Amino acid sequence: MNNTVIDAHNISKVYNPETIPVYAVNSVHLHLARGEFAALVGPSGSGKTTLLNLIGGLDKPDVGEIFINGVDITKLSVNQLINFRLHNIGFVFQSFNLIPVLTAKENAEFIMLLQGRRKREREKRLTQLFKQIGLEEKMNTRPAELSGGQQQRIAVARALASKPQFVLADEPTANLDSNSASNLLDIMAKLNAEENMTFLFSTHDPRVIERAARVITLVDGKITVDTAPTGSLHIKHEDAHSEKI
Amino acid sequence: MIFIMAWRNIWRNKMRSIVIMLSVSIGLFAGIAVLALYKGMMRSRVRTVIDAEISHIQIHQKEFKKDYDPAYTLQAGDSIQAIIRRMKQVKFVARRSITQGMLNTPTGSAGVQINGIEPDIEYQTSQLREKIIKGEGFHSDKKNEILIGKKLADKMKLKTASKLVLTFTDTAGNIVSAAFRVAGIYQSQNAPLDEVVVYVELRTLSALLLVGNSFHEIAILLKDDDDLLFVQRELEQRFPGYLVESWKQISPETELLVKTVDEYSYIIIIIILFALAFGIVNTMLMAILERTREIGMMVALGTTKSKVFLLVLFETILLTIAGTPLGLLAALVVTGYYHKHGLDLSGMGKDMMASFGFNTIVYPSFPIEKLLAIMLLVAGTAIVASLLPALKALRLEAVKALRR
Repeated sequence: MNNTVIDAHNISKVYNPETIPVYAVNSVHLHLARGEFAALVGPSGSGKTTLLNLIGGLDKPDVGEIFINGVDITKLSVNQLINFRLHNIGFVFQSFNLIPVLTAKENAEFIMLLQGRRKREREKRLTQLFKQIGLEEKMNTRPAELSGGQQQRIAVARALASKPQFVLADEPTANLDSNSASNLLDIMAKLNAEENMTFLFSTHDPRVIERAARVITLVDGKITVDTAPTGSLHIKHEDAHSEKI
Repeated sequence: MIFIMAWRNIWRNKMRSIVIMLSVSIGLFAGIAVLALYKGMMRSRVRTVIDAEISHIQIHQKEFKKDYDPAYTLQAGDSIQAIIRRMKQVKFVARRSITQGMLNTPTGSAGVQINGIEPDIEYQTSQLREKIIKGEGFHSDKKNEILIGKKLADKMKLKTASKLVLTFTDTAGNIVSAAFRVAGIYQSQNAPLDEVVVYVELRTLSALLLVGNSFHEIAILLKDDDDLLFVQRELEQRFPGYLVESWKQISPETELLVKTVDEYSYIIIIIILFALAFGIVNTMLMAILERTREIGMMVALGTTKSKVFLLVLFETILLTIAGTPLGLLAALVVTGYYHKHGLDLSGMGKDMMASFGFNTIVYPSFPIEKLLAIMLLVAGTAIVASLLPALKALRLEAVKALRR
């Protein structure tokens, strides 16, 4: 059985190609297996968010192919991509991005409703998820009445509700205090362990990096360091050759 | 879910939404008030035409109306009248003799239409009694009395009891002149008619015209307007040799006026809604702009474009329709009040309104029959107003919207 979830081949994204080209992502190869808990790190402007957007099908690379579960998403149309994201990818954003007019439960239920899941299935899944994130009491509360940490936990529940192939989280702890961040990481790690869910998150946060099973370092759009799932380290040189330490 | 979100979204900025809802309410109220006023005016005009001028149906000799030759009387008019009287739909039947002539006084002359009437019946059929503003009207014991309109009286400087001479041609082709005394001055809601129509007794005119017991016109007033077509068809079948016309055929300008005003009233509503649509579009564009990031996030999560479109559409429709009940209620209450008490428009120019045949007291009537069309127009406005904001929302690229 193929265990690969994300397989990106030589992808590049260039801004201002006709004036002053800026390589946000430059010839990146990335391979993520099911159940990985990986952190994408690097300084600001290194291309972390762009790479996540490309892998998440929110943007298209100028060069290269991205296979998600064997499907080349660079070949999909806008509408096909929307549908693909709906059924395969969970997103967690830095600033929570919950829908303010919906309750915590409705926010988490949103994707399942878009997918047309039955009520019984939704209820079962949401009850389980809210228990896992420890917010059973807040199911009918609107986001404005929740703390940042609680909102981000709801966002994680929303991302996981439909059991996607993997979850992309763009700096999920950036706006959280250390307790909330630690709590969120516990939840994500628990879900990763319990549901074998694949996580890829961009971060600056050493607490997140510390908890990640794999750390991918991005500098100027290129992967410079990639620790293997086993804990071994690959240092990648400019010429794209790698050596195992 | 999309519908619930749309409903909740319109309450995110309460003040802004309430302003738009009130605009819709006021616009709708204004539109319906205009419609109700027009309906009241048109009803009043049609009622005047039926009850005070023409009646529902008139019967003539087929040649008579070509040039009002008094020789074309209704043969067997009495028996026709008797048959019509027996019809259950008929309220009143009046017979009239009509000729054209000159009215002469020592100070001048004027062309007139002389209507020979039976006063007691005519008072019921065309409300002539109520129109008399000076004098007592016809006296059964006096001969050669005449009723003239106020406008003609003013023009010819005639008063009650003044003498005048009517000159016309009889059926033998002789010019006949007869002296009459003004028994009353009437004023109807149709000033142009007041200037040309004079009333004398039928027997007097028939004798002068040498038509004996014959007459020229049968006017029929029905109990119910809805029976018009049925009774007209019935009479046409029974009396194929005569000209049986409804008020719509006799006064096509009234029918045209009603239809035209009906269309104008829709145009007014459309203009009001069109103006409102700009306010709605502006509000929705602001709402979309404020929620760029949120919509981008929704698209990123997998919300299809059709669902984003539906969200904006529902929001716009709800925002528009939410103001509708208040507008309708206000229109219902205000038009209901004036329908009962009447709205005095004499300030707009009593003479001017009378010259067009309108009563200055208007009883606006809530246009219930147009309610569905109005609601469809409101819904149409909401849909049209939603297009631009929806297009704006659809053009949002998730990745760019999320950066905001």
